[in-house]
Amino acid sequence: MNEYIKELHMKKQIVLAVLLVLLGSVTAFAAGTKEEADNDGQKQITLTAYMQIDPADDQYRGHNEIMKQFAEEYPDIKIDVEYANGEAFHQKFQAMAASKQIPDIFTCYTGARSAYINETGLVMDLNKVGKFTDAYKAQFNDGTFTAQGKNGEIWVIPPSFAVCHTVYANDALLKKLGLSYPKTFEEWKAQVPAIRAAGYYPVSMGNKDPWVVNSWLLSLFVDRMGGPQWFMDAAQGKNGASFDDPQFVEAIDIIKQMCDAGMFSPGVNQMSNTEADQEFYQQKSVYLVDAGWRTSGMDSQLSDQMKKDVSMNVFPEISGEVTHNTSTSTPSEGFGLNANLKGDKLEAAWTFINYYNGEKGAAIRAKYGEVPSYKLDLSKVAMAPMQAKFATFQATHKMGYVFDSVMNGEGVTLLNNDLQEMMLGKGKSPKEIAEKYEIWVAANDTNRSR
Amino acid sequence: MIDIRQKKRSYFALLMPAFLVYISIIIFPILMSFGLSFTKWKQFKMVGFVGISNYVNILKDPVFQRAIWNNIQIMLVSVLGQIPLGLLLAYLLYRKWVKGTKFFEMMIFLPITISSIVVALLWNRVFSPVGLYTSFIRQVTHNPDYVVTISESPRFAMIPILIVLLWQYTSLYMVIFLANLQRIPESVFEAATIDGAKESTIISHIVLPELTGVIFTCSVLAISGSLKSFDLVFAMTGGGPVNYTTVMALYLYQQTFTFSNYGYGSAVSIIIVILSVGLISLSNRLYARAQKSIN
Repeated sequence: MNEYIKELHMKKQIVLAVLLVLLGSVTAFAAGTKEEADNDGQKQITLTAYMQIDPADDQYRGHNEIMKQFAEEYPDIKIDVEYANGEAFHQKFQAMAASKQIPDIFTCYTGARSAYINETGLVMDLNKVGKFTDAYKAQFNDGTFTAQGKNGEIWVIPPSFAVCHTVYANDALLKKLGLSYPKTFEEWKAQVPAIRAAGYYPVSMGNKDPWVVNSWLLSLFVDRMGGPQWFMDAAQGKNGASFDDPQFVEAIDIIKQMCDAGMFSPGVNQMSNTEADQEFYQQKSVYLVDAGWRTSGMDSQLSDQMKKDVSMNVFPEISGEVTHNTSTSTPSEGFGLNANLKGDKLEAAWTFINYYNGEKGAAIRAKYGEVPSYKLDLSKVAMAPMQAKFATFQATHKMGYVFDSVMNGEGVTLLNNDLQEMMLGKGKSPKEIAEKYEIWVAANDTNRSR
Repeated sequence: MIDIRQKKRSYFALLMPAFLVYISIIIFPILMSFGLSFTKWKQFKMVGFVGISNYVNILKDPVFQRAIWNNIQIMLVSVLGQIPLGLLLAYLLYRKWVKGTKFFEMMIFLPITISSIVVALLWNRVFSPVGLYTSFIRQVTHNPDYVVTISESPRFAMIPILIVLLWQYTSLYMVIFLANLQRIPESVFEAATIDGAKESTIISHIVLPELTGVIFTCSVLAISGSLKSFDLVFAMTGGGPVNYTTVMALYLYQQTFTFSNYGYGSAVSIIIVILSVGLISLSNRLYARAQKSIN
């Protein structure tokens, strides 16, 4: 019996030892890689990064080249990147923010979309890094260092600006139909019967997702009918401005007029961006309402002839508009830094974002069609045809605010649903939509409570 | 000799790890969610206790009411569509009333093996304004403006999704029924046939009583699956246009992760849990009653 108990005891000890070894190895694995490791005798700093970038997408060829180039030039800095996209990116990032465990470097918007991270004290105010001298700032275009936080904080250096309104026109089709790009909205509406009679759809726009119409059209109409000052006043509830003012009602009414005039291709509210693009690329429609960043896709998907035929324009003149010939843009996603970074790690992280946004990174991105916020002589960069048009477009148009980058997402989603319902020929009138939105903003939007 | 106390201690020790895991990943999140459901969040911070007002607002919200109705439609198609159709297909294949049963088994089972995201993209390619079906009808009718208008109707927008769900999940129930039909000894069918029983008698007196438990299990699967429908709807329509095709899980996702209303979202999740438990208990009672009447 004693022998049996001894054996049992020994077995227990072996099992316990195995368990401890397993637990130890799991803990060691979960702890991740060491932050610093030797690399040919040199100290290597490892930074963790989380980016809303799809490296497989043509749009990010520039990003891929920068990452490769940076790794070669700075072997002492290793960046462990995790990529994610769309809602999945934000969902995981919100979980990271909630647990206060965010990576060293991450992509982040300047406005409402990234409020869950940049308004919670987890993101470093880049002003505090101490590199923003006047000489440094002078290397970038206007608007790059506009305050992003309510106390003047700079969360990211936007590498470029996202242009959210463009009317692409197939000039060859217009010529074939005996038409030209309209000078006024009235003229544009008058083109619809001729275009339809020739068997084409006038305007393609993928309005399936619940943000397109407010981002690509309403933002522009608000800028045209109210101007940037009125919009900021209405957003913040200052100077008696509000979203039930005639300016906002008129802006919504233009969308209704476009629907009533039969400008959009059928099923506009069921169509994804990709489907709308394909409709335009296949020359089934004459115009495409989309964002400026579509040019990178056009360069890889359009025939050489069509790249020549497609022009980039803004919405024609609208009766009663207060700003003219404008588009809308917002600082694009940039790299934010973890507020807890310091010492060598902070210096390494700054080296990376400076490289990405600075001359070298800007030159690489420009090569792939991005118009960087860094002042670069673009005439010396060999750009693809549509990207060259995009660069000219940005240089020749003033930019207004993008509505959904300023206002709170929940209210914008409610507004967008009402707009979509109006576009389906159902629901509320422009005035009712504006009044409902104003009630929501007054009660909930954080722009009003600042 | 190992005494009873020692035995109990070892049972307790063996159960403990699983029990702890269960508590931490099931019980704790539900309790945490229940607590959060009475709070209000603003700018990613809890701003206070709001009692049951989240629940009141949810039940009053027309979008949530639409979401519940859409979930009910999915549940009806699952329980009254997928299960009977799955049973019918399984019986047809089991009785070998069609040639090439293996081929049909495989073909019918195929949709369930495909990811819901792929299924959604596939069917979007059929019904979208630039899709196969739409283009075909435009060609045939010479109407270049034709689109599937039911997708834009608040009353009927769910129909394309319901068709896809029927197509995708019927096969799951068919396989379950087929496996259970194969457990009934063939001699039972032979004896019934020799005794002159008609097919309807065989079904009502042999097949259905034998499969009552399985039908109940399938119903529980269908009900719980219907209430947590998310991936297919998210990928196919994203709840749109407007909110015509939104479902409770999508509403929960939007409130919690898009609008960061964590308290409100937690209240939605508790409502989903209550509805699930309630409906499954109801089907449990119906099953007990059916079992009693069969006995």
